[in-house]
Amino acid sequence: MPKSNPIAVFATACVVGVASGLFGVGGGVLLVPLLVLLHHYSQHRAQGTSLVALVPPTGLLAFITYYRAHEVDVRTGLLIIPGVLIGGILGGRLAVRLSAGLLRRVFACILFVLGTWEFLSPLVHSTAHAAR
Amino acid sequence: MHWAFVVALGFAVGILVGVMGIGGGIIVVPALVHISGMDQHLAQGTSLFILLPPVGLGALSVYWKKGEVDLRSGIVCAFGMLAGGYLGGRIAVDMNSSRLGSAFGLFLMFSAILLWRRSNPPASTGGVRA
Repeated sequence: MPKSNPIAVFATACVVGVASGLFGVGGGVLLVPLLVLLHHYSQHRAQGTSLVALVPPTGLLAFITYYRAHEVDVRTGLLIIPGVLIGGILGGRLAVRLSAGLLRRVFACILFVLGTWEFLSPLVHSTAHAAR
Repeated sequence: MHWAFVVALGFAVGILVGVMGIGGGIIVVPALVHISGMDQHLAQGTSLFILLPPVGLGALSVYWKKGEVDLRSGIVCAFGMLAGGYLGGRIAVDMNSSRLGSAFGLFLMFSAILLWRRSNPPASTGGVRA
């Protein structure tokens, strides 16, 4: 495992952070592939490292911005948290046994379909409105 | 949305968190928008709220035991993401909600393409671990 350059890793993380705040996600989904592609991590090591980055509340500043704009549903959030924590342990046990390559591709397919849907639905919606 | 469904959603997201080593917001946001009918901004804000506690800690402990963690880089990344997150959040709250939804879709597609690509060099991937 070659030593990664901390400055390059920091720069990558800053870009990931912008996406994280912009889209309200943790950023791991971008951080994992970037660690693999740009910094030559193995898939499992990239995933483990991404989980370290997600332990401190890295989205705190982004969260405060949304909270001030009244764009947070605290009750729904509180209901989701325990499941994520427990499910995470099961998923982690599964991942260290499984081939990460196949899982990654299955997940990539799901994301792509979801992304296409998300991208197109406002357009379809506005066209439907315009037609009326 | 029924509370039991929300708890089940969290559990499903958690499995993904552990398997993929991600935060899970990428699934939480579309689920809240399309299943519970939340506005794009509200779903994103709620997702960021969920990510405040260390929800990936359980998964991390499993990776840690297998020695699959670069602690130093992880800490460096946390600082970078904190700083970048502020900027991204400021941009997002001023955006139109449907345009933000489309941008989110593009982000998912882009992430999907990056994830799909075989890591380099292939010999160092975890593919033969099983």
